[in-house]
Amino acid sequence: MIINERNIKIWSTIGSRATFGIAVLELAKEIDNLMVLTCDVSTSAGLDRYRKFYPDKYIDLGIAEQNLIGVAAGLSSEGFNVVTTTFAPFQAIRCCEQIKVNIGYMGQKICMVGIASGLALGNLGYTHCCIEDVGILRTIPGITIISPSDSLETVKALEASVKSDKSIYIRLTGSSNNPIVNHKDYSFEIGKSIELRDGKDITIFCAGAMVYNCLEAAKKLDEKNISCSVVNMHTIKPIDKDAIKKACEKSNMIVSVEEHNIIGGLGSAISEYKATINNSPKQLTIGINDNYSKGGSYKFLQEKHGLTSDKIVESVLKNLN
Amino acid sequence: MPLTLKDFQKIKNFSVEVKKNILEMAFAAGASSSHFGGALSIVEIISVLYSHKMKIDKSDPNSADRDRFILSKGHACLAYYAALCEVGFIKKKELKTFEKDDSNLLGHPVVNRKLGIDFSNGSLGMGLSLGIGVATAIKKNKKNNNVFVVLGDGECNEGSVWEAAMAAPNLNLENLYAIIDNNNFQQTGSNEEIMNTNSLFEKWASFGWHTIEVDGHDIEKFYKVIEDVSKSSKPKAIIAKTIKGKGFSFSENNNEWHHAVLSKSLYEKAKKELYSL
Amino acid sequence: MDNKEQYKKIFIESLSIEPESFNENIKYNEIPEWDSIGHMTLMSGLEEGFKIAMETDDIVEFDSYKTGIEILKKYKVF
Repeated sequence: MIINERNIKIWSTIGSRATFGIAVLELAKEIDNLMVLTCDVSTSAGLDRYRKFYPDKYIDLGIAEQNLIGVAAGLSSEGFNVVTTTFAPFQAIRCCEQIKVNIGYMGQKICMVGIASGLALGNLGYTHCCIEDVGILRTIPGITIISPSDSLETVKALEASVKSDKSIYIRLTGSSNNPIVNHKDYSFEIGKSIELRDGKDITIFCAGAMVYNCLEAAKKLDEKNISCSVVNMHTIKPIDKDAIKKACEKSNMIVSVEEHNIIGGLGSAISEYKATINNSPKQLTIGINDNYSKGGSYKFLQEKHGLTSDKIVESVLKNLN
Repeated sequence: MPLTLKDFQKIKNFSVEVKKNILEMAFAAGASSSHFGGALSIVEIISVLYSHKMKIDKSDPNSADRDRFILSKGHACLAYYAALCEVGFIKKKELKTFEKDDSNLLGHPVVNRKLGIDFSNGSLGMGLSLGIGVATAIKKNKKNNNVFVVLGDGECNEGSVWEAAMAAPNLNLENLYAIIDNNNFQQTGSNEEIMNTNSLFEKWASFGWHTIEVDGHDIEKFYKVIEDVSKSSKPKAIIAKTIKGKGFSFSENNNEWHHAVLSKSLYEKAKKELYSL
Repeated sequence: MDNKEQYKKIFIESLSIEPESFNENIKYNEIPEWDSIGHMTLMSGLEEGFKIAMETDDIVEFDSYKTGIEILKKYKVF
């Protein structure tokens, strides 16, 4: 893929889903045994062009997610490089047991892409939001979980995942006009977090679309003389333990921000490791407080759940000793 | 082509050896008990497939040219392991480790390609989807191998079976065979008592499968059906009418033997019945 | 370059059409390049090129080169 300023801007405008569609189209050119499987979501996943160009590398299984995973596993067992995709709640939860048995237990390698995760489709109600996927999939051994911070990272994560020999769940968040976090090409490594901003007072760990909000929050906190590190923890499992250790050594408070239930996701993953560190600082976990609120626009729901940059600032100020 | 007498005898002998192996494993399982009944109902089915119908390379369980077998009703693994033993992929002494600590042979199959166990099964309703993926891959690789998936009739309660049943004809998988072990029982009672599936034949046929019913214990008839349906361009659904616990007087049609302990006395009784054949 | 020329340039670049095969009668979904992905790329290109932010209704109704000209009048491009 050509990564330049123009493409980064285009991908940001069209959002991570459509970017995924473009990225997989490019990958199909070089990977002969690539297969993309969906459940009646080609348009939503930006795959209309892909399925026109590569009908032999594409199967639509209709609205049948359990079958999706089994078929993907069967293809993978015979040497195909398989990517599955549908809306995150259906990709990660509807066929959860199939994921456990085929991917976790049997070890068939599959790259699963959950589109429109988090709160982006809040106006459709929580059946079409996903605030549970990271928590649920984290408990299945053998699955790497990546949450790209913007459209460019979506491209990088997909490429890395397709080329990896591990099974990976990519959680796509944000909507169209997805803010840019990464303004130019950079080195992306699964499992290695990226420090986007260095600061001495607190460290904010974040992933997905929340990374942009955290960077904005860090700027605002800076004006209040609170110096923040912001770490893009794009790989939630396996989590970058070194980054957590480093943060515990240098910061007065650890903050985690996620477009997910505070139970089971990024915050929990961080605290699980942090709990093993002697004298580690307090952790403020920002996310959805274990409830299904009333629906609304993406912006409305971010406000409601304290995920906008202003709300993050407010929360940090309240909790700093 | 109908079975020659020689081939019939070969399959028949294979099936007797399979039953012997099942008996040994069930007895070795001891107090852990085993899924005796549901394994016995597929003995002839698995014998026709493994001793005669399926293309297998006895020297290489992973041969690229092999036909594939998926035991979707994974709890019938006693029959599966027994057949793999007769083919030579599993040693007789390994059969004795059935359900023991650290064993490769658990109460549901765990993938182990060295032993010829291609997939992990046991959670019902998943095997046919796997079969679709494998059959699709085989066709894409321009091979003409077949995929045989054995399902239970109780297993057909699972919605995921019907997701797969709907997909296979749409994907034109003429190399996919779904063999439904229709022994009329599931875990805690008959199909009729628990969840009546009514006509499995009508259901599979309406989804677009080339569907046929056959006596699942009649080696000749079962083999003939498999040969006849191979001409169809649709995926095949073979509804095998069977008896749970078939082969021993105490277990036939007795649902207690879904999962039960084979005591020493019953083991001796079973041996007498089997060896007197 | 006047806006009309720039409009044509943005079309050709955003949709990755061969300049020789461009014509003013092109419509959404009637050429392979102008599919849903092409459309979003085009909209992005127009917003960037003319420094405007289009309303959703306009993005949805923008279904041909000619219709686009009418829509862009609203944004004082033409």
